[in-house]
Amino acid sequence: MVATPDIAAPSAPKQSFLNRNRHYVLLAPGVIWMVLFLIVPLAMMVYVSFWTQTTFAIKPDLTLKSWATFFGSETYFGALLRTLRIWLTVLFLTLLIGYPTALFIGQFVRNKTVQTVLLVACVIPFWTSFLIRVLAWRPMLGKEGAINIVLQKLGLIAQPIEVLLFTELSVIIGMVQIYVVFMVGPIAFMLARIDESLIEAARDLGASSWTIFRKIIFPLSLPGVVVGAIFVSVMVLGEFATASALSGRKVNLLGNIIVTQVGSLKWAFAAVVGVVLTVVMAAVITGLLRIVNLRREL
Amino acid sequence: MMELHGLGKTFGGKAAIADLSLRVEDDEYLTLLGPSGSGKSTMLRLIAGLELPDTGRIELNGEDITTRPTHLRGLGFVQQNYALFPHMTVGDNVAFGLRNRIVDPVTDETAVARRVGEMLELVGLQGLDSRMVGQISGGQKQRVSLARTLITEPKVCLLDEPLGALDANLRERMTVELRKIRAALGVTFFHVTGNESEALAMGDRMIVLDEGRAIQIDTPDAVFHTPASVRAAKFVNAYNILDGKVEASAFVHGDQRLALPTGAGDAAHYALRIDAPEIEPAGTTTPAPGRASMMATFVASEFMGSRVVHFFKCSDGALFEVERHLSRSDPVEYRGGEQRLLSWDLDSVLLFDASGRRIAAAQTKGAA
Amino acid sequence: MQQLTATRWVLALYTALFLAFLYGPFVVMAILSFQQGPEGGPQFPIIEWSTFWYKHVLGFAPPSRVAPLPIGEALTRSLTLAFATMVVSTVLGTLTAQAFRTHFKGSGFVFYLVVLGMMVPGVLLGLGMALVADQMDIARTWWGTAFVLHVVYTYPFAFLVMLAIFNRFDKGVEEAAWALGVPPGRTFRKVTFPMIFPGVLSAMLFALTLSYDEFPRTLFTGGSEVTMPIAIYGTFAVEIHPNLFAFGVLTTLFSFSLLAIYGILMSASVRRANARATGIQEDVA
Repeated sequence: MVATPDIAAPSAPKQSFLNRNRHYVLLAPGVIWMVLFLIVPLAMMVYVSFWTQTTFAIKPDLTLKSWATFFGSETYFGALLRTLRIWLTVLFLTLLIGYPTALFIGQFVRNKTVQTVLLVACVIPFWTSFLIRVLAWRPMLGKEGAINIVLQKLGLIAQPIEVLLFTELSVIIGMVQIYVVFMVGPIAFMLARIDESLIEAARDLGASSWTIFRKIIFPLSLPGVVVGAIFVSVMVLGEFATASALSGRKVNLLGNIIVTQVGSLKWAFAAVVGVVLTVVMAAVITGLLRIVNLRREL
Repeated sequence: MMELHGLGKTFGGKAAIADLSLRVEDDEYLTLLGPSGSGKSTMLRLIAGLELPDTGRIELNGEDITTRPTHLRGLGFVQQNYALFPHMTVGDNVAFGLRNRIVDPVTDETAVARRVGEMLELVGLQGLDSRMVGQISGGQKQRVSLARTLITEPKVCLLDEPLGALDANLRERMTVELRKIRAALGVTFFHVTGNESEALAMGDRMIVLDEGRAIQIDTPDAVFHTPASVRAAKFVNAYNILDGKVEASAFVHGDQRLALPTGAGDAAHYALRIDAPEIEPAGTTTPAPGRASMMATFVASEFMGSRVVHFFKCSDGALFEVERHLSRSDPVEYRGGEQRLLSWDLDSVLLFDASGRRIAAAQTKGAA
Repeated sequence: MQQLTATRWVLALYTALFLAFLYGPFVVMAILSFQQGPEGGPQFPIIEWSTFWYKHVLGFAPPSRVAPLPIGEALTRSLTLAFATMVVSTVLGTLTAQAFRTHFKGSGFVFYLVVLGMMVPGVLLGLGMALVADQMDIARTWWGTAFVLHVVYTYPFAFLVMLAIFNRFDKGVEEAAWALGVPPGRTFRKVTFPMIFPGVLSAMLFALTLSYDEFPRTLFTGGSEVTMPIAIYGTFAVEIHPNLFAFGVLTTLFSFSLLAIYGILMSASVRRANARATGIQEDVA
């Protein structure tokens, strides 16, 4: 016997329950929250950047005056350049300093428990409040600070290094130390996921260690590098506390300017600086995300 | 009693199920043979309500349940990977449906405990109710999954490859056990599998599913002896199928001319069960009257316990299998490359036309 | 990997130096916390070793010209804020991740909208919110304007954690529960939630930590009643004393001991679960 086709004409079934609506019910709280408390403040900031600034107040009369002040001024435009410079330096240094550690933890430590222990060891310093950690650098870097004391005791230098504190260098050192963990984490994670057999196969085919690193390990760790770069960039570009604590007001980043301008109630100008920072951030993140997607296509 | 009418489901442009209609009776063991890609998983999910069909209807005891949510259908579903609740004991897993279902939950804990105990005994897991599911073997997990479903007394119990993850020994024993359990409870089992011996062995009735359509619904015996189409014959995995055409009342396959039974029409496929051919003694070149024959070259033999399969090569290189049961005679050894005449009774030939359908007029042998 | 033994040792040494680099300031801070008080300052050399500053932080020290750290109330506020943030952002994160379990139109948009919350520097958000509050005449408070920004910041983290958890979650158990006649709501409570709970816990921990130490957003929107990081920031401008370092050491040790307790409890419960098993049986029918 073969199956006989049905005589009655079947029809498309109707959706009798609120399956479609269920999604939006779940999404609504989160989306509404983000629109109200993320999008609106940012939009407000952009809007206010075009407002007129009187001595202590702002009026919604649109003008480009604050913008002109920003780009026309040596100080402020310089702050933008300095922010970018420091960001790039810190990014580069955290990558350079963090990568070998991530490589060790992700590729050379086989025991999962030891891996976890090492990663936790990297995270523990975080449990000291961020600001206290920033402050703790001062007694390290000063003329009579710990570093100078140790180096002098070891006889490596005769005179204390002065340039360690209250300079751009101190800001960079502080930032690198505080943010390098955000590089190590994602990179170690990606490296640990690399299939051991890939490397073995390459070795069997006669590849040198350097080639294996260049062609297998590094490319596969790239998503981790990009994630780490995004984390570090977000934090460094928005920074002001480290700069303020370690440079003695000498180093003014965009973040510092915003803080001081808000302090003097110069809202419109602060908003301009904020928008500039936002644009920089957006450009950086988009650029970084391009790298990862490009790689995935390959 | 459940009916599927014209069920259809498409995923990404490709139809997983197309115009599927069948009937599931009360208190029967129904198996469905579907190789991978046939759409059997989709079908089960449609019946269970985990997906919505694009077209068609599902009726259960006269009610249209096509769009009813899963938890209101009153069907049981034993999944391929068992899907036991990992944070609960065996006992809690089995009792879960009873305690938490929306229709008639059992609130009396003594009643629950009693029924769990009875069900565990029925499936052979007595005493294991306080074990965590992470600590039991695969075979035991399967029984827990079964117990958990059957305790809710579903009208139809869907089983998705229930024996797939078990080793051969256990599989054989579970074959008997499943039929026993089902008969004891009087539930309909709808057992879906890609394994043809499983489907043939276990069902009172059997459906063959091919590319989303039911191509044969019959007793296993009928499916095995008289497959409705070439593809059904292929799925049953017990036929030599030669392609060719009818020319001057003989079937031409390559350079071989094979004798045809009467009423052959315009057959395009010539099928023979693998235990049908005889291997004639060496040197024989013509068969006895009333038999068809073909010269073939011996390739190898495969011993499989109580039977042996001899592989031959036709003149066009296609493989031809001859199966011998060793209860009748001792295995014969052949030399590789030797030419032998294979002959068979014309009655055992099955013919299929160009569209794959069996030419019924030509059939004389086979079970009714 | 035999040829790489040399590389391994070099990298191991490097990692050791790296950890020293990470812990350097903490070590210095710990050493200086034992500075003589109340005259000793937060720099070398150590005039005299003493536990004065620890007593000072805990309120036992004799009165001196050094004002006590403005914690106390700020600490309570930070903890309350962190707790509330943790609850709200975990709930939001779980709900949103649950929605992402099936594909829907606009999922890319929602994803980036949520993740944006952790990518925007705190300064910007604080500034924007302060502007909104000012223009709409809303007072800036730690439990209002700052709280909502804390959630904006931590909710994406909770969301990503739950997304990862759900990605590895086998939907089959939920389908099995439905097939047993259990409605979706009850299935979530009794099947899904217990299974994802460890993930929920880590999301909560994450959110708690992030909120507790949150600084830039709160600076602009916290109002006059400060949280702890703001209180500490306040001391930046005035003189800082080693009591800050004593405080830092104490909080770090406290967090460390919390984690140790958590670790011990986890391994104890794992051991107990294993003890309940009486061994896997052979595959008998």
